[in-house]
Amino acid sequence: MEAVAAASSTQELRELEIRFLGKQGVLTGLLRTIGQLPAEEKPRFGQQVNAAKARVQAAIDERERELKRLENAARFERERIDPTMPGRRWRVGRRHVLQATADRIKAVLGGLGFEYLESPELELFRYNFEALNYPPDHPAMDEQDTFYIDDRYLLRTQCTAIQGRVFERRKPPLRVFTVGRTYRNENVDRTHGHTFHQVDCFMVDEGVSMAHLKGTLGQFARSMFGSDVRVRFRPDFFPFVEPGVDYAISCPFCGGSGCAVCKGSGWIELGGAGLVHPNILEAYGIDTDRYSGFAFGLGVERIPMMSYGIDDLRHFLENDLRFLEQFPS
Amino acid sequence: MKFPFAMLRDFVETRLGPAEVGDLLTMAGFELEGIDQVEGDTVLDIKVTPNRGDGLSVFGLSREVLAKDAEARPTDLYERACRRFPMPDDGDEGETGAFATVTIQTEDCPRYACRMFRNVPQGDSPEWIQRRLRQAGMRPISLLVDLTNYVMLELGQPLHAFDLDTLAGPEIVVRRARAGEKLTTLDGTEHELAPGQMMICDAEKPVAVAGVMGGLDTEVTPATMNVLLESANFRNTTVRRTRKQLGLNTEASYRFERSVDPEGVVAALNRFAELLETVDGGSSRVYGVIDRYPGRLERHPIRLTVGRTCRLLGLDVTLDQCRNYLARLGMDVTEADGDLLVVPPSWRPDIVREDDLIEEVGRVHGYERIPEVLPQGSTPQGGVSGVYARIDLLKDALLRAGCTQVVSHSLVGTSPLDDPSAERIGPKNPVSADAAWLRSSVLPCLADAARRNGAKDLWLFEEGRTFAMGAGGPVECRRVGIYAQGALLPEHWRKGDPGRADFFAVKGILEELLSFLGLQGEWSAGSDPRLHPTRQASLLLGGKPAGILGAIHPDVARDAGLPEDCVLAELDVDLIAQTPAEPPRFRAVSRNPAVRRDVAILIDKGVPYAEVERAVAEAAGEVLERQWLFDVFEGQGIPEGKHSLAIALQLRKLGGNFTDEEANQVRDRVVAALESLGATLR
Repeated sequence: MEAVAAASSTQELRELEIRFLGKQGVLTGLLRTIGQLPAEEKPRFGQQVNAAKARVQAAIDERERELKRLENAARFERERIDPTMPGRRWRVGRRHVLQATADRIKAVLGGLGFEYLESPELELFRYNFEALNYPPDHPAMDEQDTFYIDDRYLLRTQCTAIQGRVFERRKPPLRVFTVGRTYRNENVDRTHGHTFHQVDCFMVDEGVSMAHLKGTLGQFARSMFGSDVRVRFRPDFFPFVEPGVDYAISCPFCGGSGCAVCKGSGWIELGGAGLVHPNILEAYGIDTDRYSGFAFGLGVERIPMMSYGIDDLRHFLENDLRFLEQFPS
Repeated sequence: MKFPFAMLRDFVETRLGPAEVGDLLTMAGFELEGIDQVEGDTVLDIKVTPNRGDGLSVFGLSREVLAKDAEARPTDLYERACRRFPMPDDGDEGETGAFATVTIQTEDCPRYACRMFRNVPQGDSPEWIQRRLRQAGMRPISLLVDLTNYVMLELGQPLHAFDLDTLAGPEIVVRRARAGEKLTTLDGTEHELAPGQMMICDAEKPVAVAGVMGGLDTEVTPATMNVLLESANFRNTTVRRTRKQLGLNTEASYRFERSVDPEGVVAALNRFAELLETVDGGSSRVYGVIDRYPGRLERHPIRLTVGRTCRLLGLDVTLDQCRNYLARLGMDVTEADGDLLVVPPSWRPDIVREDDLIEEVGRVHGYERIPEVLPQGSTPQGGVSGVYARIDLLKDALLRAGCTQVVSHSLVGTSPLDDPSAERIGPKNPVSADAAWLRSSVLPCLADAARRNGAKDLWLFEEGRTFAMGAGGPVECRRVGIYAQGALLPEHWRKGDPGRADFFAVKGILEELLSFLGLQGEWSAGSDPRLHPTRQASLLLGGKPAGILGAIHPDVARDAGLPEDCVLAELDVDLIAQTPAEPPRFRAVSRNPAVRRDVAILIDKGVPYAEVERAVAEAAGEVLERQWLFDVFEGQGIPEGKHSLAIALQLRKLGGNFTDEEANQVRDRVVAALESLGATLR
């Protein structure tokens, strides 16, 4: 028993176990001598030897557990690492902040039943202006300084240019949206660029009203900016809608009490909206006694600018990773 | 449109202050853009949308305030403006008619009127008029000019004062310019006039650009004694074309382009006379009005149904509310068979159909009363599907491969990485030289992004549109590009080389991309001049060129300021997204163990590995689960022009184990096939 307690490794213990309890072991050997004993002593002797075997086995097991614990402790100490050292960073692709924003918009509008489509950036004058009810030689076109490519083609100034292309091919009911790039011939500064991105979303069905527009915008805004956001309409003019409105959301940062983001007004203007102008529907053979539609647009850059406090539009297309890596992918 | 608040108070009695009126106008569609204190009064700056020329006057905005603010009351001035400032001599040309004849020779001048004044006072206008003009952002000049501007500010009708004594002959003709005619406008610029431009002429020559600017020779001066005052109406499109051609933009043309009320023409002449009298106490002599009005517009009633109004606005309004709102905006409203017949006023040419009236009802009723309701009815397929879903998958594949997305300008300058096979196009009116072209490739954009970030240890991709001249005109297509340079993984304290960007690292990404999209591409040696001549490939999809991949050409690298060891790739996204995926077919999964056999051969370097791979696959047959190249060696011990390839074969049967002998038989078949390609076993 002393030898068991003194064993300093599981290996030594294994040897003791073999010496005393193994097939050739001391105690096993004792048991074999039982045949030479008188019959009346046999039971007692057997019991004593077995009890001794059990005691030795228990002592060995106990010592083994102890040694295992000690050996493990030593091993774990040897294998210790500093978990605060930096991890092996995998190379993980990051989405551009505009892509991440567009993807959120796509998820929300897709979830509201709108189908995602795209149309050309290099657009015909017809779809960018004429098809959208711009009268010829009208100052409304002055608000959108246009890059002209030739007599027919221009760089679209608004994603609304998709509407004519859709109305040409599809019949109501339809719910469509797009996210894309637009161009205006403007000098570049912190808040202006010649290239930026827009969402355009529209539906045409029986009985579509300004209330449906407000409901959809409300749902969209709450999904994008938070569950307390409210929508406000203000009359405005765009040739392709009648009535036309400019819509704002209650400031999600201050709840409408006024802060730096909303410049103290409690409201943040997001874009233009309205009911699709009946002239447009009629031009595409859609019966305006039966059908009506709504449309709204907004700028993509505005959303991360507002959400993250970005103060210069130029960052978006300059691709400085020190900028891009600041935002969730 | 800027004006001092006091001018609005001339027209409207309201308990609202300037900021509240600004809010009210904003909610009526006339956005308050600025509110400032100037010379002791509050100045409102109101944005007027291009369809509402009637809002470019204090009188016009007063009308909106009265429509929206039920407690506001019109002043006497407002009432008189509505009655168009009646004068006793209305309808009588008097001596003005005796002096001048007015002939309109164009359809683009619906109305032309003028009034003659003799013995007018010289000098400056009274201080209160000068102050109000300054507050409105205009420069006071002299009594006569200031009065024309002041009346325009009040009523929106541009006026022009000619020095009567400088006009040739007793004639005013409104006509198109003739070829070769010239006119020096009062800003001192001489213009060559083009046929089609609308002019005011005296008996001999043009004296003013109609609706835009007067001529220098006939303008009023401090010496002017006698005045012919013009008040006219010109077609908006003609004024716009003319002033754009001449490069002019004035308060008058701004208003005419947005339409001016033709019924207000004489009212402005009368208001001028009235104001002049308050200044000079009646010392100047005022003569009658010549009024030519060939273009009087008959306005027809528009039927407004309350049902459609409620349906489109999504709220309940009554017939009485509709009638009341529209009447407050100056419309002539009568009831007919439960509907309203509405004649819009002369100052609202923007109202032409029922939906325009519905907007007016909604605007006055208040958009804040519209409830939020989600659309009902049948929902077509929503979300992202088809080609657009494939494009999203393509971008996902690159993100998963560890490439960071960049998004760049499509308007660019010139780069050695422009697509050499494209005829580039660009805007006729570029904003600057570095944005003079539309990109023909995304590679120049990736190069810019790379340089901006130091060009080292970067794995970038960009997806976007590119542009070029096609056979039938300009065309646009979608492309995706990759820039890869340097370490696969960032430097780390645990050593071990993770590898660097090279041709095969990027090819691996593209192979994963194709497999992710369920596509099978074919690679062959490429010939793009931007890439290293012997380290590039072109990708074919269904036999069509789908992209390029390669190390950058060292000369191009130098010219583009990029490291020589960067790798570029560019794929045709339209083709990839439109190529349907191979539909996967289920294959039974064997429960039997696989066996591996390795084959090492010597073969001419000129034999493409794709042929080796195909030969292996054909020779091994169905039991070949996978093959891969695990070693390539050349140099010592290998004959010139050859290399050693080591290929692993993973063999597995469905429902049975391979014996050694069976596996060796497969290997022998493979070896025989490779030998027929000229390989020898090592």
